[in-house]
Amino acid sequence: MRGVLLEDVSVGFDGVAALSDVTLQVEAGEQLAVIGASGAGKSTLFRALTRSVALGSGRVIVGGHDLYSLSRRRLGELRRRIGTIYQAYNLVPQLSAGVNVSLGEVGGMGSLGTLRAFFAGPDAGLSKRVRAALEEIGLGDKAGVRTADLSGGQQQRVAVARLLVQRPDLILADEPFAAVDPVTTERVLETLLHLNREGAILLANLHDVEVARRFPRVVALREGRVVFDGPPELLTEDELAKIYAGDPHGLENGEDPEFPYARHGIEGSFRLTEGRDGVSSH
Amino acid sequence: MASPHTEHPGIGGAVPRFSWKSSLAVLTVLGLTGYSVAGTNFNIVELLRGTGAAERFVSEMFPPDLSVATLRAMGTGILETFQMSFLGALLGAAVAFPLSALGTQEIATVGASRGERLLLAVPYHLSRMLLNVFRSVPDILWALVFVVALGLGPFPGTLALAVHSAGVLGKLYSETLEAVPARPVQALTATGASDFQAFLFGRLPQAMNGFASLTLYQWECNIRSATILGFVGAGGIGQQILISMNLFDYPKVATLVGATIVVVLLVDRFSAAIRRRLAY
Repeated sequence: MRGVLLEDVSVGFDGVAALSDVTLQVEAGEQLAVIGASGAGKSTLFRALTRSVALGSGRVIVGGHDLYSLSRRRLGELRRRIGTIYQAYNLVPQLSAGVNVSLGEVGGMGSLGTLRAFFAGPDAGLSKRVRAALEEIGLGDKAGVRTADLSGGQQQRVAVARLLVQRPDLILADEPFAAVDPVTTERVLETLLHLNREGAILLANLHDVEVARRFPRVVALREGRVVFDGPPELLTEDELAKIYAGDPHGLENGEDPEFPYARHGIEGSFRLTEGRDGVSSH
Repeated sequence: MASPHTEHPGIGGAVPRFSWKSSLAVLTVLGLTGYSVAGTNFNIVELLRGTGAAERFVSEMFPPDLSVATLRAMGTGILETFQMSFLGALLGAAVAFPLSALGTQEIATVGASRGERLLLAVPYHLSRMLLNVFRSVPDILWALVFVVALGLGPFPGTLALAVHSAGVLGKLYSETLEAVPARPVQALTATGASDFQAFLFGRLPQAMNGFASLTLYQWECNIRSATILGFVGAGGIGQQILISMNLFDYPKVATLVGATIVVVLLVDRFSAAIRRRLAY
């Protein structure tokens, strides 16, 4: 896929700006980490990239197409090349793991194929690719298990397997590691990077600065604006303090909005959104 | 101690304090009560004075008629009621399902043009309207309509139950579909699933248990309704109760009413037990 381009993008909810004049260019095959305090507009940025939020002004170009002026049919075609993975997994909990994985290829099916997949049941609908994807993430024996009965880490791996089946050209990972253990984090990150090496653009929304430092390019949002864009080496303590300044979590510990990082930085990681996004709500 | 104009008013208990709004509400309720008592000739004294007749009615019901003929009539009546209610719920569910699917608002229309939105709104409002008509006419009125059109018997009663059930279930189904956790559905649309696919794989699986539970409950309601429908000639045990009443055969009425109560209670228990399992 050709790159992604946001031009002066502004998004508001009830008059409150979530994104203001964001301009961002991502080249084909790039890896990019997006950081920022809670409420900085990270998730809104990602939702704008799938046209899941109304645009105030600006343009979003994905793979050479002006996303917001596409017809519904063309939008569907483009979205099929976009893979998503979320903090809260967002799988359908009542369906088996295998069916959830196979939903990675549902976009390409016609109405008849969809109905067949719907009625064929969990096993008949499992193509070789679904089996292979489940094997690859180490859940080969869980294909028939209800997704709700899996652990959080396992569910996130199922979501990754769905990506493997979908083979998207653009991966939007919205806080993918916020609710999973370190081992799963490594495993999921490894798979995402693997897909990136095969040509997919990888955009990851991260609350953990240490993980973000492993990306060649980091973009920081603050109050809906891009305040940092560059390699992680330039992401100094001062820069981070600016990025996270005024975050309510920083303020809780004192009235000094200028220096929240010093307090949290001891552990070297931020856990800003933990438990705030309805994780494990199913 | 209570001074209303301090900067930090007290928290107070669970009962609201005096306010013009709550006083107005209380006055309104009192006024409506008086108005309704006057309008309905509501009179406790008359109720107590009428106990003689009621006593006679009740005492004449005992001992209940347990003759073979009555028991057989009771059996057929109960079975018919059961069949009517079951078929009514099933047909109602079958009609309600597609209508509720159409009557579910898809949120995934961000950026859609005005024309596209309009196109999506037409089936939505049409199915909602149809369901509202089905639902807002009580089943006993539907029964009257069908009895006039098709004659006496359980068939018009079943149709009446089916139409009313379709209206109720359709509304409840579409509310269930809309209340389902949205994120898995959005995750599907964001990666290119069509509305149909997102509905089939995202909304429907999450709503299925709710559907089953609601349908069972509607069946329960239908059993209760079906006993009444007989009063307008639409079959079931109600029809036999009415006939016995008109013949002043109170012992038989006692048997029939008793059997009805037992059946309703049994079905309630049964359906509640299943619905508890579905709630998981």
